[in-house]
Amino acid sequence: MTRKKKSILSDQRFIVLLVVIILAGIFSILSKEFRQYTTLLSMLDFSYYDLLMAIGVTFPLITGGVDLSIGTGMVCYALIAGTMVRSHGCPVLVAMLLCVVLGVLIGLLNGVLIGVMNLPPFLATLCTCMITRGLGSLYSATPWPTLTQEGGWFHSIFKLTIGTGRSADRYPLGFLWMILLVLLMEFVLNHTKFGRYTIAIGSNKEAAALSGINVKFYHVMVYVVCGLFTGLASIAYAAVTPTVQPGTGAGLEMDAIGGVFVGGVAASGGYGSVLGTFVGIFVIMLLKTGLPYIGLQANWQQIITGIVLIVAVLIDILKEKKR
Amino acid sequence: MKVRKLIALGLCAAMVSTMTVAPVLAEEEAATEEAAAEETTEEEAAEETTEEAAAEETAEEATDDAAAAEDPTAQFEGLVANEAYEFPMMVKSFQSTYWDAAQEGMKMAADELGVTYTAQGPNSESDIADQVNMINTAISADPVGLGLAACDTSSVQDALQTCLDKGIPVVTFDTGIADAPEGSVVCEVATDNVQAGSVAAENMYPAIKDVIANAEGQVIIGEINQDATALNIQQRGTGFIDKMIELIQADGKTVAVTGNEFYVNAATGADADAESADVVIQVAVPAQTTVELCSTEAQAILSQENCIAVFGSNQVAAEGVIAANANLNVLGSDAANGDVIGVGFDAGSIIKGAVQDGTFIGAVTQSPLMMGYYAIYALTAAANGQELVDVPTEGYWYDATNMEDESIAPNLYD
Repeated sequence: MTRKKKSILSDQRFIVLLVVIILAGIFSILSKEFRQYTTLLSMLDFSYYDLLMAIGVTFPLITGGVDLSIGTGMVCYALIAGTMVRSHGCPVLVAMLLCVVLGVLIGLLNGVLIGVMNLPPFLATLCTCMITRGLGSLYSATPWPTLTQEGGWFHSIFKLTIGTGRSADRYPLGFLWMILLVLLMEFVLNHTKFGRYTIAIGSNKEAAALSGINVKFYHVMVYVVCGLFTGLASIAYAAVTPTVQPGTGAGLEMDAIGGVFVGGVAASGGYGSVLGTFVGIFVIMLLKTGLPYIGLQANWQQIITGIVLIVAVLIDILKEKKR
Repeated sequence: MKVRKLIALGLCAAMVSTMTVAPVLAEEEAATEEAAAEETTEEEAAEETTEEAAAEETAEEATDDAAAAEDPTAQFEGLVANEAYEFPMMVKSFQSTYWDAAQEGMKMAADELGVTYTAQGPNSESDIADQVNMINTAISADPVGLGLAACDTSSVQDALQTCLDKGIPVVTFDTGIADAPEGSVVCEVATDNVQAGSVAAENMYPAIKDVIANAEGQVIIGEINQDATALNIQQRGTGFIDKMIELIQADGKTVAVTGNEFYVNAATGADADAESADVVIQVAVPAQTTVELCSTEAQAILSQENCIAVFGSNQVAAEGVIAANANLNVLGSDAANGDVIGVGFDAGSIIKGAVQDGTFIGAVTQSPLMMGYYAIYALTAAANGQELVDVPTEGYWYDATNMEDESIAPNLYD
């Protein structure tokens, strides 16, 4: 049983990887502009925050829950921390820590509401989604320091710029961190108590509780981890967006959650992989980036993304049936 | 069995497409921001003199020879509030510093007149229902007048009718409401967006004129609009395109407009098809009004080798262009040497920075400060029982040389 499940899992990831390669191939053939290095660079720029949110939300999704507050949360933390830098002279490093702390706090709130007070995840995180959205709107549009300003160094975490102006070389350093984080979290998911209990809660919560797992604690921790990654995502978001706009962020979680499902997390919870999420996000990112290059009007991007998602989930369900 | 699966797949795809299209359309409809007014002059702001306080000045500039005789701001001369009025002012959101500048103007006017106001607005400019609720709550308190910048002009029709029935005068600012119930809106204080868009074209063209004249093949001018549904963005985008077509054709070149259907259809005077035109104006509109998606669209346009210029028609679109340029690094001021000429719209520290360091050769700003200012004046006059005419405000060109000018600086909000 276990062996079989494993082979199916790797199968799904393999299919998604193929989709990524095929999509990249199609766009490259259809548009010579798409083949440029700068296209890759900006696709990666905008993928970091999506990916970080997606890594985080993979865990609640594996437990059969969801976290809808990641999109608005991310923007909210970036706004609050950005305002601290801009209006209160707070150092950028402290602001970054603040992002993570805020993420963990909201994650903890989500976790307690869901794990301890037994609110349905959809409802609990919908509430925190509203709260973070409103909280973020208390602040006005906030640009974090640009690369050339004091404190602008944090951009270099994600993109190393050597030289200035047109002759500058840019390296997507963030991609390296993403790979490391993905590998780390894949390890956490499969080889630590926390990861295995996350899967156990998703497969059968009652059985997990009966077997002596402290379900409440681990359920809370799942959302804390998700919050932690949302906090990290807000730093990545601030690094690539010229101005963080209050009241925005709703809808960003959908790209992340969509990516996770494309990557093969079971729609009902119980299994999934961070590696799958990693590949899944790039399906979403490729569609988002590539379709404008082949001259498709914006609305089609969302339609096609939706269809791809359905196909991905259907593949998953059909495989499940065969088993 | 297989056939069944295929049918199921097809049905799902169809379902998803309808589900996806509906919210997208609704969202775009909602994304109204600022709107149109009447015709004003096209003088360059830079040439205008500064004599009085910046406040009075902007209004003066908004007049040309014909309108000079009846300066719409003259109606406010010597205005004194009969009572210490209090006005609810409905802004579209507190999302951008644009609205902070508008409030600054309101405060200036309120202090001068001895009246008070309370500014209210939803979380974001797409939260139409929230704003309608706020408006209804404000109306139920029977104010002496209501200032309104509607997120969605069609959703406020009922509220306007109620105001008319209750005898509450409404002054619209920033966004005009074309089909308001007769008599409900006593005065409209808004930017002439067609003019504002054409100002961008007029100032961009001299920088790319020679490149177009000497080009061996086709060249591309890009325009990024955050949506194709809000009246102000429509007018601004079309104002730019039409003026650009006019200028290019005056020099004997042919033009085609491609991309977003609305703007392609709205443009007048394009005389060639996309294959054979000397100049192609490519118009891109993202699926959602976010900087990221504007940036992706801008990136696709800017990465074409023969792209020579780009215009971002509001703060979000212009910042999207700047974000795209962060990797591409093609924008600059020397078109002859292969720089792509960038022009922005609105202010905010990022766009101001781009104008200062030469990434953009300049941008067009509206005057939120003056709109807020005159909205309070108009409301006070209306509450006094005065008859009013509309007050159009202009779009002003600013670049690194005139950003500090007294006539420009107050409108360059952060």
